[in-house]
Amino acid sequence: MAAFAVVVFVLAYALIASERLHRVTVALGGAGLMLAAGVVSFDDAVHSTETGVDWEVVFLLLGMMVIVGVLRQTGVFEYVAIRATKLAGGRPFRVMVMLVVITAVASALLDNVTTVLLVAPVTLLVCQRLGVPPVPFLMAEVFASNIGGTATLIGDPPNIIIASRGGLTFNDFAANLAPVVAVLVVVLLVLCRWMFREAFTFDAERAAEVMALDEREAISDPRLLVKAGAVLVLVLAGFVLGPVIGQPPAVVALLGAGVLVLLSRLSPREYLADVEAPTLVFFAGLFIMVGALIKVGAIDQLARWATEATGGSAQTATFLLLGVSAVLSGVVDNIPYVATMAPLVDSLAADTGNPGSVLWWALALGADLGGNATVIGASANVVMLGIAEKNGYRITFWHFARYGVLVTAVTVLICVPYLYLRYFAFA
Amino acid sequence: MIARDLAQPYPSVGMDDPALAAVRLMAEQHLPGLVVCEPSGRPTRVLPATQVLRFVIPRYVQDDSTLARVMGERGHERLLSELADRTVRDLVSGDRSVELAVAHPDDSVLELAVIMARTHSPLVGVVEDGRLLGCVTTAQLLDLLLAPR
Repeated sequence: MAAFAVVVFVLAYALIASERLHRVTVALGGAGLMLAAGVVSFDDAVHSTETGVDWEVVFLLLGMMVIVGVLRQTGVFEYVAIRATKLAGGRPFRVMVMLVVITAVASALLDNVTTVLLVAPVTLLVCQRLGVPPVPFLMAEVFASNIGGTATLIGDPPNIIIASRGGLTFNDFAANLAPVVAVLVVVLLVLCRWMFREAFTFDAERAAEVMALDEREAISDPRLLVKAGAVLVLVLAGFVLGPVIGQPPAVVALLGAGVLVLLSRLSPREYLADVEAPTLVFFAGLFIMVGALIKVGAIDQLARWATEATGGSAQTATFLLLGVSAVLSGVVDNIPYVATMAPLVDSLAADTGNPGSVLWWALALGADLGGNATVIGASANVVMLGIAEKNGYRITFWHFARYGVLVTAVTVLICVPYLYLRYFAFA
Repeated sequence: MIARDLAQPYPSVGMDDPALAAVRLMAEQHLPGLVVCEPSGRPTRVLPATQVLRFVIPRYVQDDSTLARVMGERGHERLLSELADRTVRDLVSGDRSVELAVAHPDDSVLELAVIMARTHSPLVGVVEDGRLLGCVTTAQLLDLLLAPR
């Protein structure tokens, strides 16, 4: 039974990585095989948080997708992006700084794909008006999105999985990852200044065209903006106060989504427009497949090997995890990677002591930042590439990798002293 | 009445004609679209006016219509400059291709209506032996349906 589960899992993983079949088809097919062969029972799959679908992850994503669906109707993203561009005086590098910071902050609060979908059209408009090539701007934004998303529990789907499996709160993520992410955003800007130095040609006449844009027109329904903004603030407060009010993030997000739907009076088609059902189904299938590996003891075995390989040292395990996660997340989707690694890290944490939950932070930093290395490393990269191509700007795999690998290498390397100093040297 | 009786001469353009000339023809004659002929003269596609708009409006504005408001009243001013040096082929190639809905000269009014409904086309070409006899528009068809018996 163990061999069967491992073979099905490895085959499914290979198919997901190769993109020969749609990842949802593979995840559902793999889960179906695990269920049909009796590796996991229906009860395990649906009711066990250990070996089945982690409903907290699914419902947290669902709640946030609904909130974003309403929020994007308000035009607030377009307003902020154009306002910031005008504040930058239409000077290309300053514009990039503004857009990168906006993207990083938005990605910490919303999922990365949504952030890229929101910021890319405005970026194309601004670049067209400024007469500068949009590709460097789009790439800088997607890097910022993956880096910014690392900062919080809700910023990147792998973080949601890590939080659920590691029993970590929104505040844990903010306290442990947000500080280093803030540094990484600054480093990214320095890198962008150098990598894209030829894209920053200033033309006063073109800049005047940007200044002529009227960002106030973006806000079509100010009342909806107030309602959505208030609910978002309450939801964030709910995340922060989660341990005090005794509600997990999934409940806070679902309640926020429900209240917003009631207040907004939008139609289901409008507020459900951002709910990516395929992603939620993919998660469910993935959890069942990983649950099967746990059930047959494959994850425990891997954890034992990992403990032996690291000699039971939390420090060795941390840096190994950071490095391996960064490399693997560049070549495989970081969601299945983290879904697989989370139970393994859980076991490893018990064996090594895991000071300050450092193994979880190493996994989050490696997996999230590693997504910047290649086009296929993160969903946001694929989405950004699609938008660029639709608008006549083709970005090849290697063109992206040339910059992505550098950004990943530098940002991950910066995490090494951070993790060492904070969790080992001055622990 | 059959398709042959309803078919009327309809302006057509060639694949390699200038895009701007085709758009002018549409505007001057208030047409919902044009029939596009291959270099061999065979009519194969339609260039709907909406397709021209899809071509000239930047894709990012189509994806995020909020930006159209932000660009203000003068946002449309340079749209048609996109058509300079373009041919009709550019407007109807790739995923922008709209095949000409074709009816047989003997098709009935109901058959014509079914073709229009199924293809969402405001225009059906009546073709015999690869030659365009003329076109029937939705407006013509609705006129016929409304006519007192």
